[in-house]
Amino acid sequence: MAILEIKHVSKFFGGLSANSDVSFEIQHGMIMGLIGPNGAGKTTLFNCITGYYPPSKGDVVFDGRSMHGLQPDKVCKLGMARTWQKVRPLAKMSVVDNVMVGALCRTGSLKIARDMAMEQLKVVGLEHRSGFLAGGLPIGERKKLEVARVLATQPKLLLLDEVMGGLNPAESEDIIQLILAIKGLGITQMVIEHDMKTIMRISDRIVVLNSGEKLAEGSPQEIVSNPDVVAAYLGSE
Amino acid sequence: MKPLFKNTTGIGALPAITGLLVVVLLFLFPRFVENTYALHIMILIFISIVMGSSWNLLGGYTGQYSVGHCAYFGMGAYTTMMLMQFRQIPPWLGIWCGMVAALVVALIIGSICFRLRGPYFVLASIAVAEILRVSALNLKNITNGAEGILTTEIPPLKIGGALITDFSSKVPFYYAGLVFVLLVILVTWLLQNSKLGYYFQAIREDQDAAHSLGISLTFYKNVALSLSAVLTSLAGSLYAVYVGFIDPSTVLALDLSVQIVLICIIGGIGTIFGPVIGALVLVPLSEALRSNMIGESLINSGIVKADSAFGSFLTENLSHAHVLIYGVLVVVVILFMPDGVLGFAKALAARKRKEVV
Amino acid sequence: MTIFLQSLISGILIGGVYALIGIGLTIIFGVMRVINFAHGDLLMVGMYGTFYLFTLFNIDPFISIVITMPLMFLYGGFLQKVFINRILGALPQNQILLTIGMGLIMSNGIMLAFTSDYKILSTDYSSSSFDILGISISTPLLISFAITAGITVVLYWFLLKTDTGQAIRATAQDREAAQLMGINVKRMSIIAFGLGASLAGTAGALISPTYYIFPQVGSTFTLKAFVITVLGGMGSIVGATLGGILIGVAESIGGVYFGSGWKEVVVFVLFLLVLLFKPSGLMGKSNT
Repeated sequence: MAILEIKHVSKFFGGLSANSDVSFEIQHGMIMGLIGPNGAGKTTLFNCITGYYPPSKGDVVFDGRSMHGLQPDKVCKLGMARTWQKVRPLAKMSVVDNVMVGALCRTGSLKIARDMAMEQLKVVGLEHRSGFLAGGLPIGERKKLEVARVLATQPKLLLLDEVMGGLNPAESEDIIQLILAIKGLGITQMVIEHDMKTIMRISDRIVVLNSGEKLAEGSPQEIVSNPDVVAAYLGSE
Repeated sequence: MKPLFKNTTGIGALPAITGLLVVVLLFLFPRFVENTYALHIMILIFISIVMGSSWNLLGGYTGQYSVGHCAYFGMGAYTTMMLMQFRQIPPWLGIWCGMVAALVVALIIGSICFRLRGPYFVLASIAVAEILRVSALNLKNITNGAEGILTTEIPPLKIGGALITDFSSKVPFYYAGLVFVLLVILVTWLLQNSKLGYYFQAIREDQDAAHSLGISLTFYKNVALSLSAVLTSLAGSLYAVYVGFIDPSTVLALDLSVQIVLICIIGGIGTIFGPVIGALVLVPLSEALRSNMIGESLINSGIVKADSAFGSFLTENLSHAHVLIYGVLVVVVILFMPDGVLGFAKALAARKRKEVV
Repeated sequence: MTIFLQSLISGILIGGVYALIGIGLTIIFGVMRVINFAHGDLLMVGMYGTFYLFTLFNIDPFISIVITMPLMFLYGGFLQKVFINRILGALPQNQILLTIGMGLIMSNGIMLAFTSDYKILSTDYSSSSFDILGISISTPLLISFAITAGITVVLYWFLLKTDTGQAIRATAQDREAAQLMGINVKRMSIIAFGLGASLAGTAGALISPTYYIFPQVGSTFTLKAFVITVLGGMGSIVGATLGGILIGVAESIGGVYFGSGWKEVVVFVLFLLVLLFKPSGLMGKSNT
């Protein structure tokens, strides 16, 4: 069964359409890559899925349940969590406190939340930073913190918005290993990524957006050999 | 990168003993000090701490800068006074009604203003408080309008026939203030060490991120506002009964709202003791100006001659301008110590420590 | 019907001055994204300036704006350079608090210097009025409206046609882009705050024959200025012009139908409604 079904989702801002009639499904346990040129509507689609914008048309079904009219906090509680393209650390709180905020989604006890948070910090390799202020971390570690924080909400589906943006190759490799490890935990992921090589390497399936519409969908091999995709990428760059 | 000290849920032995000692001394204070002016200053400091700490829950921890907090102060003050003066309900019962009234207003304001963010929230909070002020001014038959309400008599507090106090001295107000202070500090401390406190701070740091981590913004902001409003009303009620007179231009004024914010800003927002420091700095300073202590001491010490132009200027005008100190302080604090006196002192201490090492 | 027309017209006349206050605030907000809580206090300073020019030197309030305007411009530029420019990158809350503090210093400084007594600037035409078609029009209000209209026209010309004006508008539209285009943003900020202060001061001069003058008079006008700019859409000069007139009319008509004590409530309720249902302002484009 599909964990996420996106059914004919459209989003208009004023008269402009940011997404039009996008449909696809994500199966349990897979990594779905979401690619497309700048302004293709990838982040808008994330926002529609996670409740930040209500879709103008269409519906998002998560785990058999329509997300229609649900606020982001509800969406998170149901098990769908997202990261932000531009990282959003809770700057004046410590690293472990940041992750605890995520964990508190599942427990009322600070003690349990702290244990859960330390566990997630180990997963992303930030346990040595737990007492530092989040606002003081370098970008590579902020991205990891972002992942640890959403992992602490115990999601079934994780939406990662360019978690490798602005990182050097070594840091990116760290994140790639992290994504694969998360897959190993049985958590489904949808990943927006600019770097084609990376997305081909980690994705089980890929959806290509262009000007808000779904241009293609398939396995990485199918996508690279799809003439429309090649044209869109060559045409736009 | 600044390493943060380990997040302590327990309290160390030394601070606990110091704290306890301070509390004991404060409870004994009226037994040894009979000077009514000293008691008066202490009561004013207590009221300031209560209103500052209450605002701190919403502004300091949750990051929602209400500049209309006089609304809750005024609700407490008016409810308690109207019940006492017009319905013969004693203030120790009226205070509870004041809390309920503040809560109701908070829920209404919250449902309107929390749909707005940042500067729009600030403006909306001011507008609502102004609506309350103008209403209190105009609803003459229940609030006495601009004339205000003057206490004629406070009923004596008796428990089971035994007279506890007849409110003839300042001492009962002192203890009421002290208990309220301990209450708000306790609430703040409990909050800091609870899920609620974590959620409030997450909202302050980044609303969208908080939202995506399963935090309902509307719910938790309203919880913060309600808590803050109810505690602010305590300060209002105590003030009203203590001073014995209220009118819209003192308990529902924009100046008061600003004063409440300044107590926190000057001390340092989002910390337990920030408002305490703020009140300790502000109240004596502004009292010294109000009672013209500064002008008099300048004249008495012979620096300024009483009959000179500057001397008469000091005696006549300086006492009117006690709010000036708020203005000067806030400008200095924002420009030079944006983390408040407490944060400034900490940073200074940290620098010293580094130099030593 | 006559009452309605009467209050409509006096509302429009007062609205002209409100527009001036609102335009000043909106320019400051547009260029710096700072909400100036000291705006009413700048107006109050203008009122005191006018009052003393009149009582000491016998200069008519409507003529004294020739002196008030440039002086207030310099004063505003000074405030910007010394205070506001330091906190342009700070949290919006801190910016608000700084301007609140500056306002407190101004109002209490004035109180210290001139006491809190109410002052009245009475000219021989202060309470004069004339009738047109049974509607009485206050002379000082009419003169001040005419001057306001003149200033607004000059201001529009300045913003649309001169290089500096265009640079200010560009900065208001996109600060970073303007900086990249080689516009001296710091200088534009000083000009903008000077302009805002000078408009507020002028408004103060214009209303001084018809209002009580006292140190705390500013706060009401600060609040009104917010309402006006939010109604018109933050940063929109045309919006502020219309917003000012709208508030003047709402107040005047509200005062007639709900009693003068409640007219401010009418304004604030209107304000909340706009904030809730159209936060981008009546003139603004909807972003949501």
